[in-house]
Amino acid sequence: MSDRAGETRPGETQPGDPRPTRRRVAPFVALAIAVVLGGLLWVLAASKAGVDDEQGLIDSPLLDRPAPTLRGTTAAGTSFDLSRRKGSWVVVNFFNSDCVPCKAEHPELLTFVEQQSRLGALGAELYMVAQQPDTATTVNAFLAERGGDWPVVLDDDGTISVAFGVALVPETFVIDPDGFVRVRWAGQIDALTLANLVQQARTEYGQ
Amino acid sequence: MLAEGLNGFLGHSALIVGLAASLFGAMAMIAAIRTRNPRLVRTVIPYGWLALVAAVVAVVAMERALITRDWSLAYVQKVGSYDTPALFNFTALWSALEGSILLWLLLLAMYTAIVMRRYRARLADPAVGWALAVMLLVTAFFFMLALGPTDAFREAAAPNFAMCCRGPNPLLQNHLLVMFHPPILYLGFVGFTVPFAFAIAALVTGRVGEGWLVETRRWALFAWGFLTLGIVLGGWWSYEVLGWGGVWAWDPVENASLLPWLTGTAYIHSVMVQERRGMLRVWNLSLLVATFSLTILGTFLTRSGVVNSVHAFSDGTIGPFLLGGFGVVLVVSLALIGWRGDRLRSPGAIDSPVSREGAFLANNVLLALFAFVILLGTVFPLIVEAKEDRQIAVGSPFFDAMTRPIGLVLLFLMAVAPALPWRKASGELLRDRLFWPAWCGAGTLALAVGVGATGWAPLLAFAFAGFAGGAAIRQLVLAARRQGYRGLLGRTNGGMVVHLGVIMIAVGLAASNSYTHAAEFTVQEGETVSFAGHTFTVVDVYDFSDERSVGIKADISIDGGQAYTPAISKYTAFGMDVATPSVKSSFVKDIYLTVENGTKPSTGTAKLKVFVKPMVMWIWIGGLLCGVGTVLAAFPGRNRRRPTDAVSAPVPLEEEIAGV
Amino acid sequence: MSGARALQHAKRWPGWVLLVLVVAGLLAYGSTKDVGARTPEERVEEISKQLACPICDGETVYESRNTASISIRAEIRAQVTTTDAGDDEIIAYIVQQFGAQTQLLPRASGFESLVWVIPSVALVCAAVGLWFAFRRWRTAVDTVPDEQDRALVAAALAAGDGAGEAGDDT
Repeated sequence: MSDRAGETRPGETQPGDPRPTRRRVAPFVALAIAVVLGGLLWVLAASKAGVDDEQGLIDSPLLDRPAPTLRGTTAAGTSFDLSRRKGSWVVVNFFNSDCVPCKAEHPELLTFVEQQSRLGALGAELYMVAQQPDTATTVNAFLAERGGDWPVVLDDDGTISVAFGVALVPETFVIDPDGFVRVRWAGQIDALTLANLVQQARTEYGQ
Repeated sequence: MLAEGLNGFLGHSALIVGLAASLFGAMAMIAAIRTRNPRLVRTVIPYGWLALVAAVVAVVAMERALITRDWSLAYVQKVGSYDTPALFNFTALWSALEGSILLWLLLLAMYTAIVMRRYRARLADPAVGWALAVMLLVTAFFFMLALGPTDAFREAAAPNFAMCCRGPNPLLQNHLLVMFHPPILYLGFVGFTVPFAFAIAALVTGRVGEGWLVETRRWALFAWGFLTLGIVLGGWWSYEVLGWGGVWAWDPVENASLLPWLTGTAYIHSVMVQERRGMLRVWNLSLLVATFSLTILGTFLTRSGVVNSVHAFSDGTIGPFLLGGFGVVLVVSLALIGWRGDRLRSPGAIDSPVSREGAFLANNVLLALFAFVILLGTVFPLIVEAKEDRQIAVGSPFFDAMTRPIGLVLLFLMAVAPALPWRKASGELLRDRLFWPAWCGAGTLALAVGVGATGWAPLLAFAFAGFAGGAAIRQLVLAARRQGYRGLLGRTNGGMVVHLGVIMIAVGLAASNSYTHAAEFTVQEGETVSFAGHTFTVVDVYDFSDERSVGIKADISIDGGQAYTPAISKYTAFGMDVATPSVKSSFVKDIYLTVENGTKPSTGTAKLKVFVKPMVMWIWIGGLLCGVGTVLAAFPGRNRRRPTDAVSAPVPLEEEIAGV
Repeated sequence: MSGARALQHAKRWPGWVLLVLVVAGLLAYGSTKDVGARTPEERVEEISKQLACPICDGETVYESRNTASISIRAEIRAQVTTTDAGDDEIIAYIVQQFGAQTQLLPRASGFESLVWVIPSVALVCAAVGLWFAFRRWRTAVDTVPDEQDRALVAAALAAGDGAGEAGDDT
């Protein structure tokens, strides 16, 4: 196929064309588009690449509000209701027995519980919520292997996780004696941090 | 560098040679054009070949490293494993960012070499010379990416097999389509570099002659065909692998592939207006620039991790480079358009909106709007984050709501446009030409209502699809009557075949999105459940395992017939569940089975999910038809029209007009 | 012969009027036909397609297979079957628990409304722009060929042995 790029077709502008010069529009249109696209570039350049899932203290609509209902059967077969635990500080830890950071933080929870028990009546109580697909069997095996004699509530239909807005385990909540959520911590936690968080909440909310 | 292994050394050397070759080639070309030195032009050719050889060597070195499990390379540690089957080990090249840039580079160097070879006799022509220089510069940019931010041949410390070397992501090693979808999609993406290069050349030289038109049109068509096939294959892959029974989820990565498709589609329509009437030249140039920039922007969106997507490989360091490249392309193109635009604009006019060119214009406005809506929706969460520092999401409900009306109007245009003559249509002519296609639409609607379809949007889609299909078939029948089998060749008739393909896709999407029935059952072995007029008998539930995974399968007999075996596999190295659905396909409907978590072979309990989806197969057939139509359209049709041939009814004489 | 003439006549207007009536009737029938109340399963599906899975990358609760999404689906099912909360209330509840990035349909208020407004503005601008363009084209161009033009065309046609076929098919 022969290229006839050099040829001019009727209607194509040539140097020395007698036609009157046309209005200059293109520079302004190009400039307007450039401004819009410049804005887009700025937004893209400013955006944080790879927003990771947040770790540590995170916001929640539940903070400083009464804790949602947490009622269910424990792995030991008894029934549990968080609202009956009013009067003492409560730590609720969400986990499941497959999750690697949950396994890693478990010894820290043991340490934390031991520390708190030394405070007597002032100490916080720890409860865990096991997410599906955990069953009483898997949870009991988990506890037998890694220790821990506190109640673990089975959340087999996910209601508790949804009510607390827990998407990714482990996650830890601190609830005050009036049943208000005071702290939400996402990801792995250690005993010292958890004890400090409880202590801070205690001084801050005066109990 | 001496301490490097052979593969790393080969790869790095090839990339350095390739970068140098493409840079020198581009500089020599530009120098040759500026000095009008034809001898200098000849020196460009070896550089172009050298760049291709370098890209081939780099890809071969990487494949060799993957096949020989050369753990000295970080990339092999990332995507290689001893357990990956040979096929998926081969495709592991493009299963993460660094390797996929190598694939891109290879295709780009191939396109550059083809352009160079095809126009070897005319390289001294500045229009061709500039195009080649642009191709070489883009190639150099990708060589630079492959050497710097996405260095696939980076060395790594000795592997710790407990932590690394797990092979490609499970989703990229469990279906044969991984072999075809990414390379074909990339052939489309990268292919748009060629018309873009010619567009820049046209802007620099100020020439948009017929040669420019014919060449860019053909290249754009070629790239468009591959992009279309690649997108449809992607939908098929998602349907076969992800296990939720859908083909399209408006994920940012999917949107990024649709954006250049939309602007490319607009171009291959509006270029016909330029060919016929010499109009819309600047608009066509802009569409080519937009298409190319959108492929770069898409790569940025999906490869820099700014948006969350199942397909994204997030990697922090490539983002600024791609964004910079996008910025440079935009600044250069817009500056050129601003400088040249007024001189290139044609003085012609479109006489009537009810004409072929009017329909193309409307089609372009709609496609541009479509692309704009999708771009806006995709980046909007980033805008909100920049402005108000909070996270929001924009997902499929938004895109569905916005694109449904645009799609319907586009279908309507597809019905009317083929019947419209150039310049101006009379009411009588339209009434005559559209009569049977319109009744075809009404018949389709009646059929749809007859089989129980409901809802105004899908019904309207079926009616317009029937109308558009009727119009396309009318055109094909008329052409075949005149010219026999040659009536299927050429741009218009091949285009009509593509239209039929797009219509089938539209019908398939409308039907499968609107009338899917799904249900979950927990069934014991030997039990039968019935749903949507079919019975499902669980014949067997059992465990299975191979080197890479352990999992559960269930044999399910549909309507007492053949057993289908959906599975759920846990890839042990990743701890990731991958569902493998099993689909009984037919032209009318698909029965799509998955097993869900909670299935227990020990107790013989199967947790089963059943989707009954009408007309999914139409989407795949439509995609195939689009590919076939593109090939037909690329053949030269009937002898090309001579410029003196009449294109429309004679224009009335002065007196006649005055009399009206 | 008379059949062909009748068809020609039908194409002029009676056939089209009939077509419009048929299409309108079918559309009216099809879109108002009562398909019965949605089953709980259909409602769960519709609601879960409006929500993004809180921990995945770009999957909806409907598609995703992880624990969080399974829990959310179970919660939606529970609310659908045991309460009389509407779809929007259930969505609002989940979004409140898991954050705004789980809501896939942008709100129509506040800054988010721009995502709805801008495309509409763009559509109006495009339509107005086209209208102006056509108006300018219609007035600016002299479409009436003069004698000189006709002579040119005649000469060219004669030179090209006049074999050109009028058609709209290229």
